[in-house]
Amino acid sequence: MIFAKELNETLRTCLADDPRVVVLGEDIADPYGGAFKVTRGLSTAFPDRVRTMPISEGAIAGISAGLALAGYRPIAEIMFGDFLTLVFDQVVNHIAKYQAMYAGQATCPVIVRAPSGGHRGYGPTHSQSLEKHFLGVPHLRVVAASLVHDPRTVFDDFLTQDSPVLYVEHKLLYPQHLTVPEHGRWGDLLATQDASPGMLPTVCLSAVPREECTVTVLAYGYQAMLAAKVVDRLAVEEEIFVELLVPAQLAPMDWAPVERSVGVTGRLVTVEEGSGGWSWGTEAAATISRRLFRELRSPVDVVASEPTVIPSSKAKESRILVGESRIEAALRAAAVEPNVR
Amino acid sequence: MKPVIVPTSDVNSEHGVLVAWFVDDGAKVEADTLLAEIETSKAVLEVVAPEAGIVLHLAERLQEVPLAEPIAMLFETSADLAEYVRERETRAAAAAEAPAPVRASAKAVKRAEELGVDLAALHPGRLITVKDVEEAARETRVDYDALPVPLTAAPGTQRVLLIGGGLGATQVIDILRSSTTQRAVAILDDDPQRWGADVNGVPIVGGTDRLGSLFAAGAYDAATVAISTSVAARRRFREACQEVAIPLANAIDPTAKIATDVELGQGNVICAFSHLGTGVRMGDNNFLSAYNSFDHHSRIGSDNSTGPSCVTSGKVTLGDRVRLGTGIFIEPHVVLGDGVAVASGAIIVRSVPAEHAVKTKVVTTTVVPVQRPGR
Repeated sequence: MIFAKELNETLRTCLADDPRVVVLGEDIADPYGGAFKVTRGLSTAFPDRVRTMPISEGAIAGISAGLALAGYRPIAEIMFGDFLTLVFDQVVNHIAKYQAMYAGQATCPVIVRAPSGGHRGYGPTHSQSLEKHFLGVPHLRVVAASLVHDPRTVFDDFLTQDSPVLYVEHKLLYPQHLTVPEHGRWGDLLATQDASPGMLPTVCLSAVPREECTVTVLAYGYQAMLAAKVVDRLAVEEEIFVELLVPAQLAPMDWAPVERSVGVTGRLVTVEEGSGGWSWGTEAAATISRRLFRELRSPVDVVASEPTVIPSSKAKESRILVGESRIEAALRAAAVEPNVR
Repeated sequence: MKPVIVPTSDVNSEHGVLVAWFVDDGAKVEADTLLAEIETSKAVLEVVAPEAGIVLHLAERLQEVPLAEPIAMLFETSADLAEYVRERETRAAAAAEAPAPVRASAKAVKRAEELGVDLAALHPGRLITVKDVEEAARETRVDYDALPVPLTAAPGTQRVLLIGGGLGATQVIDILRSSTTQRAVAILDDDPQRWGADVNGVPIVGGTDRLGSLFAAGAYDAATVAISTSVAARRRFREACQEVAIPLANAIDPTAKIATDVELGQGNVICAFSHLGTGVRMGDNNFLSAYNSFDHHSRIGSDNSTGPSCVTSGKVTLGDRVRLGTGIFIEPHVVLGDGVAVASGAIIVRSVPAEHAVKTKVVTTTVVPVQRPGR
């Protein structure tokens, strides 16, 4: 089933199983069912708890914060992740702070869903991946949708914990099929899961066992799917063996699975679609370089998009955003990097 | 047969819902007849017949359809439609029955061909790699008693074992045939299909895993790598011999001119009419094809391989694992680093750093019929 429908079923289950759940957002009610159809049918089934909002992200954030303080579990859709800037203040200064400010007497478990990312020709203000600006906000979890993590498990986790969450969904995942690893396999690749206690799992994918891999690539969301294609192609065509790690949660990050992989391969490449610099990848580079200084055989390479405005022209957009060719070039370069240890 | 495509330029939607069919499956329609309506996130689109014909539905009402794919086909006759449906069913049945294809890396496929390993017999439960193929090849039990034994030679003659039974072997055998002090006695080749055969009278007695055991048994005195096409293979087999202290034999054609004060290592193959000028220093395990000339005081490393007619001036340096094509000229003092590859026809005037390739512009020749003067 395509990811948009899996997510739709997940929200439906949340609404059915938990009377505290409220779904809010612009144009999310039937018959339109949301810009990406993720909420299609939900307002018909749960008319009281699935509500279309006025065109004001500030109102959505404020109403969500109030509902959460009052004991509800609001799930708010920001139609395009680009509009997250309009909720930044309430997320940073209010939603993420209440629990600590009131010493646990109040909780504010807002879940914000944000369709993000480019490659669709939507132009400068409907194509961005702005999650990096939310990484490192104290007490805020940032989680990325992927095709290897079942959203049911992820939302179960959200609803059992009291932290506010930003859940970024790359638009290009919606029409693709959710393919959770089964029996140690994910398509043609070997698959395992690794997680520190209490953390969402990181999925580890490779053509051959980790011991034979010479590079680790860390990627999330849609970029992880691109990286998976490159990992498979390099293995088949060149016998360049790379292990792909796909975390669900970006912040706070569970570094232990990354350390376990890089401890064996000795090389790390990170991939993200957001603009380069001051990013998830640079945080990974700093952390892994510090913790695994002696194990690393070459410097960590950070692949990110060009730090500029995303053009509307699809041809020009593809030169700005990370695509398969950039990932492949980075992995090839890492694989031939001389051993500096 | 004509596919019916949904007319849309809506970048918002990749799928739409087919909300209504206005003609039945199998109905006959005129061009521009309204066939169906598709609802996308932005609009309801009308789909009309691009030409007259008999309609075959490819989607049902209320089904979600990808906008890039046809929702129906139009056929001129009902026989065409029946034929199309029959073929589609046959293809589906064949696809359902086809066995899962073997998944192996490109290098593993090549290695399996070299070693005669059947990839379909390997089931590692993941991508098959070169390592898997080589392990499988090692596990294959070989009946050495069934293979031919090396030839013998008169006392005082060096018995030479050749590594590789391809066309390079025919050249080395030819060189040794005119020698009074050396004789080719056996060939080892890693393709089991070739075991038991012979190359110009010299038997192929097994794979290179027998290098050590045959030497220990005293079946030969020295080895020569008879592979000219791969410098990586030349190096691999030289190292394999060194590991078990097998000496390498030079094979030098009697028509070759080796000048005064030349120092040669071991395991070099020097084909007919080649020339090493005065003071040349050559390492080990090089393969020089016919008509090569390395002029005075040139230095040549190890594991290199050249095509015919490679000519250098004086004081030229070749590193290791250099590959030269056919008909190459090299100016004085030029240095070719390790792993350099040079295309045929190059004239090299400057040095080339290690692990670089020298490409040449393709010189095209045109072939035309001879024009006879007058009639």
